[in-house]
Amino acid sequence: MIKYKEGEKVRLVIIGNSAAGLSAAKTIRKYDQKSEITIISKEEGLAYSRVLLPYVLREKVDYNNIFIKDKAYYEENAITYIEDEVVALDTLEKLITVNKGQAIRYDKLLIATGSHAVTPPIEGLNGSGIYHMWTKNDLDDLLPLFNQKKSVAIIGSGFVSLQAAWAAKCRGLEVSIIEIADRVMPNVLDKKGSEVMANHIVDSGLSLYTSMITEKVERQEDSSFKLHLKNRQPLVVDFVIVGAGVKSNISFIQNSNIVYDRAILVNEKMETNIKDVYAAGDVAAGPTVFGDKHMTHALWPTAVEMGEIAGANMIGKQRRYQGSLNMNVTQMYGVTVASMGIFDDEQIDGSYEFPMDQYKGYIKLCYKNSLIVGACIIGESESVKLLGKLRPIIKKGLRIDCDPEKIESYIDIQAFQNRY
Amino acid sequence: MTNKKVVKTTCRMCGTLCGIDAHIENNKVVHIEGNKDNILNKGRLCIKGSSAVTWLNHPDRIYKPLKKNDQGEFEEIELEQAMDEIAEKLMELQKKYAPNAIGVWKGEGIDFAQQEELARRWIHSVGSPNYFSNDTQCFASRYLSFNLVYGCWPQADYENSKMIINWGTNAPVSHSYWMQQINEGREKGATLVVIDTRYTDIARQADIYIQIKPGTDAALAWGIMREMIRRDEIDHEFIDNFTVGFEQLKAYAEQFTFEKVYEITGVQGKDITRIVDAIAKARPSVSSWAGTGLEHQTNGVNSIRAVTMIDALSGSVDRKGGMKTPKGLGMRGLTIYDEKPLLELKPVGADRYPVLYERRQECHTLMLMDQIISEKPYPIKGLVMTAANPVLTNANSNKVEEALSKLDLLVVKDLFITETGKMADYILPAASYLEREEIFSNSAKQAAFITGKYIDNGLQTEYELFKGLADRMGSGEYFQWKNDHEVNEWLLEPTGYTVADLKTNPSGFIFGEYEYEKHRVKASNGEKPFNTPSGKVELFSQYLVEKGIKGLDGIPEYHDPSYMETKNTEYPFLLITGARVQKYFHGRYRNIPQLYKSDPHGYLEMHPEDAKELGVNNNDRIKISSRVGSLETYARVMHEKEIMRGVVQHTHGYAKENINRLTYDDVTDPISGFPALKSVQIKIEKID
Amino acid sequence: MKIITMDTTKCVGCRNCELACAYMNSNTSCERTYSKIRVNHYIDEQTLIPLTCLHCEEAWCLNVCPAAAISRDENTGAVIIDSDKCAGCKMCILACPYGNIQFDEKDLVSTKCNLCEGNPRCVGHCVGAALNYEDVESFNERARKKVDRKIMDAIKHQCKSMEVENDK
Repeated sequence: MIKYKEGEKVRLVIIGNSAAGLSAAKTIRKYDQKSEITIISKEEGLAYSRVLLPYVLREKVDYNNIFIKDKAYYEENAITYIEDEVVALDTLEKLITVNKGQAIRYDKLLIATGSHAVTPPIEGLNGSGIYHMWTKNDLDDLLPLFNQKKSVAIIGSGFVSLQAAWAAKCRGLEVSIIEIADRVMPNVLDKKGSEVMANHIVDSGLSLYTSMITEKVERQEDSSFKLHLKNRQPLVVDFVIVGAGVKSNISFIQNSNIVYDRAILVNEKMETNIKDVYAAGDVAAGPTVFGDKHMTHALWPTAVEMGEIAGANMIGKQRRYQGSLNMNVTQMYGVTVASMGIFDDEQIDGSYEFPMDQYKGYIKLCYKNSLIVGACIIGESESVKLLGKLRPIIKKGLRIDCDPEKIESYIDIQAFQNRY
Repeated sequence: MTNKKVVKTTCRMCGTLCGIDAHIENNKVVHIEGNKDNILNKGRLCIKGSSAVTWLNHPDRIYKPLKKNDQGEFEEIELEQAMDEIAEKLMELQKKYAPNAIGVWKGEGIDFAQQEELARRWIHSVGSPNYFSNDTQCFASRYLSFNLVYGCWPQADYENSKMIINWGTNAPVSHSYWMQQINEGREKGATLVVIDTRYTDIARQADIYIQIKPGTDAALAWGIMREMIRRDEIDHEFIDNFTVGFEQLKAYAEQFTFEKVYEITGVQGKDITRIVDAIAKARPSVSSWAGTGLEHQTNGVNSIRAVTMIDALSGSVDRKGGMKTPKGLGMRGLTIYDEKPLLELKPVGADRYPVLYERRQECHTLMLMDQIISEKPYPIKGLVMTAANPVLTNANSNKVEEALSKLDLLVVKDLFITETGKMADYILPAASYLEREEIFSNSAKQAAFITGKYIDNGLQTEYELFKGLADRMGSGEYFQWKNDHEVNEWLLEPTGYTVADLKTNPSGFIFGEYEYEKHRVKASNGEKPFNTPSGKVELFSQYLVEKGIKGLDGIPEYHDPSYMETKNTEYPFLLITGARVQKYFHGRYRNIPQLYKSDPHGYLEMHPEDAKELGVNNNDRIKISSRVGSLETYARVMHEKEIMRGVVQHTHGYAKENINRLTYDDVTDPISGFPALKSVQIKIEKID
Repeated sequence: MKIITMDTTKCVGCRNCELACAYMNSNTSCERTYSKIRVNHYIDEQTLIPLTCLHCEEAWCLNVCPAAAISRDENTGAVIIDSDKCAGCKMCILACPYGNIQFDEKDLVSTKCNLCEGNPRCVGHCVGAALNYEDVESFNERARKKVDRKIMDAIKHQCKSMEVENDK
């Protein structure tokens, strides 16, 4: 713990007001009531949950429910909140330059600025009528369109893109998904899973184009868009949502000495190479449970975990991160889709597919060196429990000594025997 | 203003009698949970207990008497009119035929001790000896068996036991708080042995589980006793001083070698060795208890006698952790058998089952049906039933329906229109257990419990029914008390306690701590140590021998169950019925929607290999038939461990899948007259 | 803080807990699908495990919920889900290592045990006393006593045999 001199207050500054930043603040306050906490956020308004945005689009969740902290939270927890954009960082002077207000001094700093959506280099893919689905501003832009427009093209078929597509479909729009790769959700599902998912998408009445290159986007006079596709008839839609991945928000550290690659490199304590500067969440590249030293999983749970570790270490608790285990889950196209860990067919050396009737859906366990390293699910909600039970097994690299089909029973019995 | 109260009273959703906290608002029960202070269930309740809120407030409950009109429809009438008409018709029948042409039938559904005695009192007061009850299909057989051996209704001292042997009984479902007591004993180190054809709930926690062929328990008990004697793991001092018939027992036991027992029961010698090893370690704190599973066989009484003799040989009777032989509260009785025995009026079944009648004064419900139909040896034309539903619960339902439809007068008192009620001429609305004052007692804890009229719907109590009929039929002198409260005060008088005393502890008024080894004190005072004819624990019953009836053995000999005697190729499967499920109590509670949704129909439990051979899958529709009837039901394919091959089980009480359409009423135990509900030969056909 | 403790040596799988929980949660049905407690019966292993939320001190479901719909009840310490806030993303189900969070397919929200505001119905319906609502310490205390008793029994038994030896 931080040792305080009489009357001294340690200034803990967190840049970023989302999963990682808030998780850090919560952790700090759990143990430490004395230090000053300042959160700086570029985004306007209350903290919100990025995960919920597609659910709002789908009208599953009320708009107001995206806000995960109210104003009172900051007061109750003695957190100073500053809405401003950090433009530069001086790690020698421990000084943060912001756009509007006065420079801010810190004793310890957490960078949790998240990420932003990127746009692929396609001619005409910019300007109004072209949207992302990553921030609240994106949501604000899209909501009226979902009410007014009739058709949309989604470029990309990642997790968020497909959720956006599903939302559009649920709202009655005509939806086309254009994926440059040969399958959907390449980062969330294995090859067979992709096929299963593609079937669900098509069965739900969406148009799906895989291995499809968008050559040019042409704005038409009636403000609709004509998408020129390689070797195919052009597609005319009212608007376009682009989901081509995200990049860390690190522009303000360009002139500092903080080491970064695509994201800021952190160790298992969320420390950067600069003393007293930490990073967590989408902006950071940290360890994974599989032994990677620096990898970014731009995922909410990972951000929460990293923030917790960072917060603890900022107040002197020696906490080490076990490593991020990527996990995704949602319900769309009438099925529950979830995955965890390593499931890419190229990276595993064995797998077990449950009979369809056991969990009423597609479930595959993935093995490497006889250890379970990942799993994919396209099926019912009940089966997500299996993934939950597997999470600690994968994290700890535990060997499972039973037939795969009985794995859930085996884990239950083991878990209970260990607990009691 | 809302009138709210929480009353501590006794649950009557089954006969286990758990303590409840009933939350009552404005004369309506709104919530029921276990009474944490209750000495029996300690705050824990089964799902029936808490679901009573839905049941008692059910929109289908009847509050007005119903009379069937000429079109066969029920019409509401006033209570006074109904009572007048019923009394008049009963008198007419007695006048037209004979006094014994009417009877009364107590079910298990509404009331308990006082209800039974009031019914007995009333029917004798109006000159008929024909009292019937559900007890002749459940309980009375065990009562006779234990009584023949100990001269009382004993109770297993589970909490202190070092070895618990449960034969054909599944405490968590049938006597829920016993499971706590059994677990308490186990926590202190007791070994649990479960002997059952079905791998029941309690079997799942057994240290030793024995899957046995139906109806062969006595052979196993004899095998165990033989081994106990051979290894000299018996209590000589107790046997010598407090039992009769040991030499005969020993001689009879000789033949039950491991090989013979295996041949009869399918249980291996090594399992007997394990059991006797455990007895050797645990005696004299062994409680070997038999449940309904053993009763429903043609050898039921002998089986139960044999089973409890393990307690006697191990010296565990009236000892800590063994079989308690409790004292009663010493209340007055309401029956008038001394004054008006009416034996000359031939109580139904008393000739054929003299032990049942002499020891329990129970007429025989199965013979009643034959007698109604044949009018031999004399006609029975009128029946008053309270809280009984024999259409669902008596063996051979088809015959029950035929018989009841032949009656000139059928009166049913219940909370709802039951399957039997539909056949009635009059239905009287019954007061629930929150609407009456009644005394219950628990012999194991030597405790009494009082209930009260916590809700008043203006409904007639059981006392008011019988008093009302007696007053109208000229035997009002036997019902001089104003209400059930006055009855209770009178009943309690000789005990020195009053209703108010009992009310001081509604969670269990203990009228005397149990004293172990009473038999020794009695012996030293020159009293009979046990309340049997010989004054000792009767391993041999001279009383039975003297009856001179085939099958009434001095020593509880093993006889093959009926299905073994008659091999049957037409009906190749052996059906056992009567296993309960926790949601229901015999024919009751299918009208509680939340319970019904979780268990909407009957099903036939079967071994997976049998199912495979029949080409039957789980939940398939099947037709099952015995020589007396058939029905359509659902298949439930069990785990291979859960039921024996060739044996199937179907729970009773489902109106659509009423398994008693298949059960025999003419294959019975010679001592108790109990039907062999667990020895029914059937065939199974898949419905495509 | 009290939690629901589970003694696997006492559970017989009668499922009164499930029935009571289901009714408490649905108000219409005792069907298992509405129950937040599940008794898993592993017949080959002769093992019964009643499982419901352990209300973990470090509740990962609570931390990870992206809708901030999971919180701790101040009075009971229960980890509870606010169904008005729940987006139905199932992250919590994925986060729970014991499989103790259910999904309500009708309202499309996650649901779980909330300790019935301090009067858990499952415990009140556990006729074998396998479930208890108690401090973890009390549970451990009982477990310790049980082990002590076993040791005592073993010693007693040993002494008994020694006596016989000495008699010779």
